[in-house]
Amino acid sequence: MTAPELLALLPYVVLATTAVLVMLSIAARRSHGAALIISLLGLAVTLAAMAYGGWGGAPQPVTDLLVVDPLATVFLGLTVLATVIVALLAAGYLQQQSVQREEFYVLLLTATLGAATLAASSHFASLFLSLELLSVSLYGLIAYQYERPLNLEAGIKYLVLAGVTSAFLLFGMALLYSQTGDLRLPGGGAPGALAGPVTPVYLLGALMVLVGMGFKLALVPFHMWSPDIYQGAPAPVAAFLATVSKGGVFAVLLRCFLTDRLSEHASLYVLFVTVAIVSMLVGNLLALLQTNLKRLLGYSSIAHLGYLLVPVVAGGHMAAGTAVFYLVAYFVTMLAAFGVVAVLSGGSRDAAEFHEYQGLAWRRPWLTAVLTTALLSLAGVPVTAGFMGKAYLLANGAEAGEWVLLLALVAGSAISIYYYLRVIMVMFGAVPEGASVARPRPVLAGLVLGVLLGLLLGLGAYPGPALTMLLALMGG
Amino acid sequence: MPELLWLIPGLPMTGFALLALWGSRLPRVAVSLVGVGSVALSAALSVAVAVSFLASPPADHAYSLTLWQWLGIGGLQADIAFRVDPLALLMMLVITIVGALIHLYSTEYMARDEDYSRFFAYMNLFVGAMLTLVMADNLLLLYLGWEGVGLCSYLLIGFWYRDPANGKAAMKAFIVTRVGDAALAVGLFVLYTQLGTLNLEELAARAPAAWPVGSALAVLTAALLLGGAVGKSAQLPLQTWLPDAMAGPTPVSALIHAATMVTAGVYLIARTHAIFALAPTVLLVVAVVGVVTLFLAAVSALAQWDLKRVLAYSTISQIGYMFLALGVGAWSAAMFHFMTHAFFKALLFLAAGAIIMAMHEDHSIFRMGGLRHRMPLVFWTFLAGACSLSALPLVTAGFYSKDEILAAVWAADGGQWLWVMGLVGAFLTAVYSFRVVYLVFFGEAQKEPAHQPGWRMAVPLAVLAVLALVGGALNLPRSLGNLLLLDHFLEPVFAGLAQHRELTVAQEIHLQLIADVAALGGILVAWLLYRRYRADLAAVADLAVVRNLRTYWLNGWGFDWLYDRLVVRPYESLARLNRADAVDYLVHALARFVAETHRILSRTQTGEVRWYVAVLTCGVVILVAIMVLR
Repeated sequence: MTAPELLALLPYVVLATTAVLVMLSIAARRSHGAALIISLLGLAVTLAAMAYGGWGGAPQPVTDLLVVDPLATVFLGLTVLATVIVALLAAGYLQQQSVQREEFYVLLLTATLGAATLAASSHFASLFLSLELLSVSLYGLIAYQYERPLNLEAGIKYLVLAGVTSAFLLFGMALLYSQTGDLRLPGGGAPGALAGPVTPVYLLGALMVLVGMGFKLALVPFHMWSPDIYQGAPAPVAAFLATVSKGGVFAVLLRCFLTDRLSEHASLYVLFVTVAIVSMLVGNLLALLQTNLKRLLGYSSIAHLGYLLVPVVAGGHMAAGTAVFYLVAYFVTMLAAFGVVAVLSGGSRDAAEFHEYQGLAWRRPWLTAVLTTALLSLAGVPVTAGFMGKAYLLANGAEAGEWVLLLALVAGSAISIYYYLRVIMVMFGAVPEGASVARPRPVLAGLVLGVLLGLLLGLGAYPGPALTMLLALMGG
Repeated sequence: MPELLWLIPGLPMTGFALLALWGSRLPRVAVSLVGVGSVALSAALSVAVAVSFLASPPADHAYSLTLWQWLGIGGLQADIAFRVDPLALLMMLVITIVGALIHLYSTEYMARDEDYSRFFAYMNLFVGAMLTLVMADNLLLLYLGWEGVGLCSYLLIGFWYRDPANGKAAMKAFIVTRVGDAALAVGLFVLYTQLGTLNLEELAARAPAAWPVGSALAVLTAALLLGGAVGKSAQLPLQTWLPDAMAGPTPVSALIHAATMVTAGVYLIARTHAIFALAPTVLLVVAVVGVVTLFLAAVSALAQWDLKRVLAYSTISQIGYMFLALGVGAWSAAMFHFMTHAFFKALLFLAAGAIIMAMHEDHSIFRMGGLRHRMPLVFWTFLAGACSLSALPLVTAGFYSKDEILAAVWAADGGQWLWVMGLVGAFLTAVYSFRVVYLVFFGEAQKEPAHQPGWRMAVPLAVLAVLALVGGALNLPRSLGNLLLLDHFLEPVFAGLAQHRELTVAQEIHLQLIADVAALGGILVAWLLYRRYRADLAAVADLAVVRNLRTYWLNGWGFDWLYDRLVVRPYESLARLNRADAVDYLVHALARFVAETHRILSRTQTGEVRWYVAVLTCGVVILVAIMVLR
């Protein structure tokens, strides 16, 4: 390996080393604080290594397996930052649990490594390994409180279903290999790698690969797991599932299928349009009368990934930047929403049922402010990050003339307003009798939520710098 | 200097944020410091900006500052950007200085109120929004400020929300102005679709190029903008909300419903004068609206018994003068009157507040009386305000500004009739002003004042009284010194517009003399009716005709009654008739359809893994089929 290759690989090495270090520290002596601090330091060094390597430069292949290009770097940064937030949320959350806490961070770091290398994969072998690294870590994370039946059930469900879709993915790779005779992604992993030659078998292979990704992204019809797992998983893990896990896979999706005009590849185009429309509508419809906040956010995330397919379908020079900006807004929003759930949860079960949020506004005004803003951002109300993301998404779609898709987006958003506002209404309702159980107020999580609230409003009111940077990085 | 412009609206906004988040936990002293301090600081900054502006006028006569671009999609640029030209600067100075004085006054007036911090939070938000309105460099940001002040007006009219009547008054103000706001919004849409920008400077450049004078689109746009202006400024036919808006605390009436917000309509027309100049018909309508409003409101003011309602009708009437001035193209005269009006009307309201406080919240002028010796400071300051309002010659600011308007009206083509109406209005103004003075301060004492104003109320009264008297020196007509400072200051804004006919100095003096006679005559009539022969005229006042007429005018010419019959009741009965609405069926059917789809879909979420795998596999098969069969 050459020096530039090593330099490009450095952040990933640091991330992997951190996981090992945390594991070793646990072997030496159990300490929740030490595990947390080592993890955070490792993540910080990862970011520093990333900045040291410089970003936005020309794609740097590292062996045949990885390519460190702007797409990989942006997602690495996003993934690591989101993991920092999840770790901080988890710290306060785990403090109240009776489980061994330290291993959580090992799993979190390996999962993050999986998501990060996934985004940098330029070869089917590394793609599959990264995906499995992410999945296997997630099984452990989802079932982390194994003495809770719901947790265990969720973990096993995820295991079985992820196994099934991995089979699809492997099959797809085999089909593609049969056509090209090469396991490297065509074009060295440049975006739009799989939207290539059109033989029926090749298309079938691409579809099977898409099934593997669609499962992780919970696109319809691969979405069935999503509510059960979100409900069962610990709140910080649900936040991780909704953000980091989906982010990494979405990067691969962009790498495989983002082209200037997808409509030139008629079969894929029809496929994506169908999946996008169905995801938007079904996701929102399923959430409609939901009374469990974690399930509701799970359904909502289905719809949001549907919206995110708009730039993939529309294409054009703004598409990648628009998609990543939307994803950033979505990350911030979901982390804030699940963060509030995490802070409110404790003891034997997570606070997720609506009646537990009844009158929250009068008891915990700040948490209510964060959750309200997050929900408004999910709904796409102005002066929140979600509005900005959606506005640019619409502009991107309109430029390409994808009116059917936009119509579905608007219809889906209209439906979604109903259930988001319902949560807000519940929070501003009367405080039920004898509800005020004093919960500890974790300082770290409070700070994190404050920062997220600032980002939610900041990106909504002052999106310029973030947007310009992303558009420049993603070649807009 | 321009780099600091954002602080001017930013400081009151910060004050609002602080008070809204932590106000209830702060001690009152801290609340006062934040509330008054933020506005006082932005007043100081405005003065500094004005000084630097005058000392070294910037290129093209405006400071510009673009903070950031909020949204830039396609051709739509939504910039958070300020542009301060002389017109905006004048507004800023008046808003911040009068605002700071009123905030100071409020610390004493509201001292016993339990919602002290909420009051100052709203007031700060109002000042911030109003400054955004006048400093905005594009109509979108202006609209944000426009809605912001509307919201604050609503919140502050209904400040004492425990009395449902106050809540109703707030709703009325909000809904009636909403009619105008809707017109304004449509106006913005038309401007954007036709001219492709909302930037004020570019609009002023593009409109004359795109539209010939009198073209349908120009007339339509100007009419829509006028709709917004008459709503906000309480002009005919949307004037009915302002008298009821007096339900708010008196400092609110002084700041929002006299000095600043209600003049936003005047500002809007002056700001978009390039468009109005293309629509002479609409400009004529502006003048006619102004003159009719000023007359009707002045007559109504004569019949009021509530001290604050007299002043409210007087405000409507005085804004009528500003509209009249705008309508005849006397732009800077309108702004001059805006400034003097802000001084003397804020003064009158603040003095009225002191009186009402002393009278245990009794608003009736017939139960006051004889306060001249009991509240000397309030008497002298109120008298200064009343003189200025009546345009007492030479020694008051109101004289100079009203005189400039009347002269411009006379000089306008076919303006003589408008001038006559304006003159009658001036006469009536003097009558109702001094009617209040005689009833409240002279005659027999009825009640002992319960509270004498302390320094925090006295200082604003004194400062405003001085401004109400000498503020006219900024613009001395040619007959009296020919020192048109304000006109020259505003000249770059209104440059390039057709100027009205110049009057000779002799003509000007004649017009002034006639106006003087009207004002002095009005005071004399007030003295005769309400002081000298008050007892003898009681019999006349009891005549059925007079009584009915008085009731009619008391209710503001029955506009509320008319709107109730014309709009509210037909609408309500239509709504009753259409209770089983066909459209509702459609909407409900849609909702039921969505809910039913939800139920069907949620039945698929069984929680069983075997079923999930089956769905997944079938999904893949269907997708393959779609790809193959497309």
